[in-house]
Amino acid sequence: MRTADLLRFDFQVLNRHRFRTLMMLIAMSIGVAAVNLLTGLGEGAKSFVLGEFSMLGKNTLIMMPGKKETSGGMPPITGEAPRDVTLQDAEALRRVPGVKQVAPLIVGISEISFGGRNREVMIAGTTASYFSIRQLPIRQGSALPVLAWDIASPVAVVGSKVKKEIFGERPALGQWLKAGGHRFRVIGVMDSKGQALGMDMNDLIIIPVASAQALFNQEGLLRVMIEVQGSEQLESTRKRVIDTMIARHEQEEDVTVITQDSMLSAFNDILDTMTLAVGGIGAISLLVAGILIMNVTLISVSQRTKEIGLLKAIGASDRDVLQIFLVEAALMAALGAVLGLLVSEGALLAGRLMFSDIAFRTPLWALLLSVATAMTTALLFAWGPSRRAARLEPVNALQGRL
Amino acid sequence: MLWRDVFNLVWRSVVSSPLRSVLTALGIAVGIAAVALLTSIGEGVRSYVMTNFSQFGTRIIAINPGKTVTGGMGGMLQTDRPLTLDDAAALTRLPHVEHVVPVVQGAGTVKAGERSRRSDIIGANYAINDAWQFKLAMGSSLPRDESGRSRNFAVLGFKLKQELFGNRNPLGQFIRVGGIRFRVVGVLEEKGQMLGFDLDDIVFIPVDKAMSLFNRDGLMEIDVVFATSTTSAAMAEAVRKELILRHGNEDFTVITQDEMLKTLDKILTVLTAAVGALGAISLLVGAVGILTIMTTTVRERTAEIGLLTALGTTQRQILLLFLWEAIALAMAGGLAGIAVMGSLILLTQWLAPDLPLTLSPFYLGISLLLSVLIGLLAGLAPARAAARMNPIDALRAE
Amino acid sequence: MIQLEHISKTFLLGDQAVHALDDVTLTIASGDYLSVMGPSGSGKSTLLNVLGLLDQPDDGHYRLEGTDTTTLSEPERARYRREHIGFVFQSYHLVNRLSARENIELPLVLAGVPPKDRAPRVNEMLERLSLTDRATHLPNQLSGGQRQRVAIGRAIIMKPQLLLADEPTGNLDSKSGADVVTLLEELNQQGITLLVVTHDLALGQRARRRIRMVDGRIDSDGT
Ligand SMILES: Nc1ncnc2c1ncn2[C@@H]1O[C@H](COP(=O)(O)OP(=O)(O)O)[C@@H](O)[C@H]1O
Ligand SMILES: [Mg+2]
Repeated sequence: MRTADLLRFDFQVLNRHRFRTLMMLIAMSIGVAAVNLLTGLGEGAKSFVLGEFSMLGKNTLIMMPGKKETSGGMPPITGEAPRDVTLQDAEALRRVPGVKQVAPLIVGISEISFGGRNREVMIAGTTASYFSIRQLPIRQGSALPVLAWDIASPVAVVGSKVKKEIFGERPALGQWLKAGGHRFRVIGVMDSKGQALGMDMNDLIIIPVASAQALFNQEGLLRVMIEVQGSEQLESTRKRVIDTMIARHEQEEDVTVITQDSMLSAFNDILDTMTLAVGGIGAISLLVAGILIMNVTLISVSQRTKEIGLLKAIGASDRDVLQIFLVEAALMAALGAVLGLLVSEGALLAGRLMFSDIAFRTPLWALLLSVATAMTTALLFAWGPSRRAARLEPVNALQGRL
Repeated sequence: MLWRDVFNLVWRSVVSSPLRSVLTALGIAVGIAAVALLTSIGEGVRSYVMTNFSQFGTRIIAINPGKTVTGGMGGMLQTDRPLTLDDAAALTRLPHVEHVVPVVQGAGTVKAGERSRRSDIIGANYAINDAWQFKLAMGSSLPRDESGRSRNFAVLGFKLKQELFGNRNPLGQFIRVGGIRFRVVGVLEEKGQMLGFDLDDIVFIPVDKAMSLFNRDGLMEIDVVFATSTTSAAMAEAVRKELILRHGNEDFTVITQDEMLKTLDKILTVLTAAVGALGAISLLVGAVGILTIMTTTVRERTAEIGLLTALGTTQRQILLLFLWEAIALAMAGGLAGIAVMGSLILLTQWLAPDLPLTLSPFYLGISLLLSVLIGLLAGLAPARAAARMNPIDALRAE
Repeated sequence: MIQLEHISKTFLLGDQAVHALDDVTLTIASGDYLSVMGPSGSGKSTLLNVLGLLDQPDDGHYRLEGTDTTTLSEPERARYRREHIGFVFQSYHLVNRLSARENIELPLVLAGVPPKDRAPRVNEMLERLSLTDRATHLPNQLSGGQRQRVAIGRAIIMKPQLLLADEPTGNLDSKSGADVVTLLEELNQQGITLLVVTHDLALGQRARRRIRMVDGRIDSDGT
């Protein structure tokens, strides 16, 4: 039998049993759509979360004081260690080969006040290079001036939320804020930017690092951000940074240096696993659709027993009959898959239009896998009934006996 | 019609094409099994997390510096108005308070003779054993020294003790934590991991020593353990009042453990239900299956329906017959799914008790109800078609 | 040339053995016209099915144009049925969802004949059966006689040497029955070997060679 004839023959069958065909298409399309929608949502959530947390450029190292033996667990995030990482340590890192720029960081909480309004905010003490490492956009005024690091200066750059809550519609530039008994002049306002590793960059004030040391009465740094010249130098520079710190800290390795990717890869793995899991859950419905195909093929064989007998009488071989029924199942699976893809793609498109900052998109592997699974289950489940049809004795079949 | 006769007719019809009935029920069974498995995982994870979190006891209130705990970093950040040891001492004097644990945490090198290990260092006090339910494997707890004048004593986590001393007795031995000498007075029992944090790879030292070691003048957290004589809300309020009195305004955050547990519980319950709902997508496909098969059955039995009508069966009776058949198929599937998955889960629990799997009778009940509902909804249209069949047309079909 | 040698076929009905064909030996010359008659259950249809390679005998040999068919594999027997044998049934056995044209075309489709070669052959067949104006009708829109003519068209579209008809007029009124018989005899005159199973004495008498079966045996065989 020619392929075109086989397809036409089976289309006529499907067309004849429209209700049944429609139900099978719905069943298959629910399965395919479920897999694609769920993985699409998972992928969207993943790219959203990773986007939120990857505010640092790719070439950035993060150094924190303290070192723990157990690898793979939590890094020593509290920033407390018997020996501080000092401003001098950070300055020394600027001379390490491969390092492009370095930003020291102290973060604290303080209540700021302006014109009778009080508000508790996070205050980050750092240097001008922090703005370029973190790619912080300035909306008004300027970033921190380039100063010697150990020189305090009463200037502050405020986040967009701080600006709105403290100053409202009034201009902020040039105004003096009070924070913990110190006064700072606002020299810049940042544009909105999302959360990053637990810091809301909109609800933040940035002041020179030496001013923060005085404000919080603290010498040691919480973090040091290090931008490397190229991503291919990331690992080698990381080693050199650690070596430099060991040399400066009496031969003791008491800092932890991580890359953003290493922090995100754990996240990435978790989110990938979740996407895979929800996709798998969706695929269960493909299994159920497969069972339905088996059932309907069985019914179809019993209803078309005489036709099978006739086909054999006019010269159809077992293989021809097998093909006719398998292709019928495959057609339903394929059409159902197409329908399911249309539904899921449409829903994801709507999702993208509604939440423009989340990239809901079915990953290619899920797309291919869902269609392949639909086809395979259909063929697998139709196999038994189709073989039963193929093996019918023509004489019996002609009389409608199974 | 008598119930027994309805049952009999439905039963006859179901077993007249056994393979078809089995496959139809199987579609529902797979869906119900999926729901049962997924909710069991959800419940298992929930109870695992809850046990993990409540291992420190439930009558705890945690106070962190800063009014808003920013992204979980609250306590770690510096503040110009820190929580101090004096704050902690003041809270001790509040009524109903049993223990107060001031906390500072960092990481550093711990040395014992030639051996050394980089571990977490927690500054706390004598009360950790009672407050956090850490049991002592040997020795004693940190002593009740006067605040600010504690001696250089240390308590080791189980793993840290093993790494530093092996099987030797560490009690009375000296260790160096960040260069300062401490005498080991106790070792804790094994606790395990919690959220990537190894609770056994820790050295506990007096909090004032830790503050000077880290050169820090504020605490990261104060934990208050209160007696059963008060409620956690009342205690939280008393703590809040006392600290506002001392600080002038509310520049700290108070979280009660049972509030946190409640929130966590709520989140995990919602997650369990959501995962179960995802599993229920396959039930939708199973419902389509019942609809398809029942419609086919009605068409095949056209002549029989005509005969029944001719014999005086009412439309209502025919409707009920087919409806019950659909419900029977769905319920059989539901029961089979629950039975198979239930016994699989029980077996897994028996073989691997560490896996977070908990059979929840609530969700099992819900899934069973769901299967009945599916049978009802999917059976409705075909059953009505059967009931409305014109008896003459139906008879002519023969 | 068709040669049946000691063909036997036994069915089990419950625990009782029924000898549907009991040591049948028969030779049929090419282009012959045979009728098979006999009481119901005497093995006429079984004989036809064996001759048409639909059924396999338990014993004996069946040579078709010199080939021993008992040793053929399933696909080979299917090919023989497709290329050398045509069937006509009492109940037509048309595929209900297919039009008259498509039913006639079906063997060509199964044989993988390209569509452009099929169309002229089917058109010619429709013409010959006077069914051109019924080509697109579904079977349930045709009369019994028309349906049987479609079935005959389907049986001979592959130009078989052997045409087997099992009570072809059994479901027809006498007028359409006579038309169908005329058509079959025309085909025989053009060279096809024709074998008709019938209950109709008048029809049976028209054949050149008449076989009478009783209890699975050939009771009489004459001209
Ligand atoms: N598939 C079958 N199973 C059992 N018995 C059969 C089968 N086919 C035919 N028979 C029996 O074989 C005998 C001959 O049948 P058949 O060839 O159909 O007779 P006829 O066509 O002459 O009426 C009958 O007794 C019939 O009951
Ligand atoms: Mg017969």
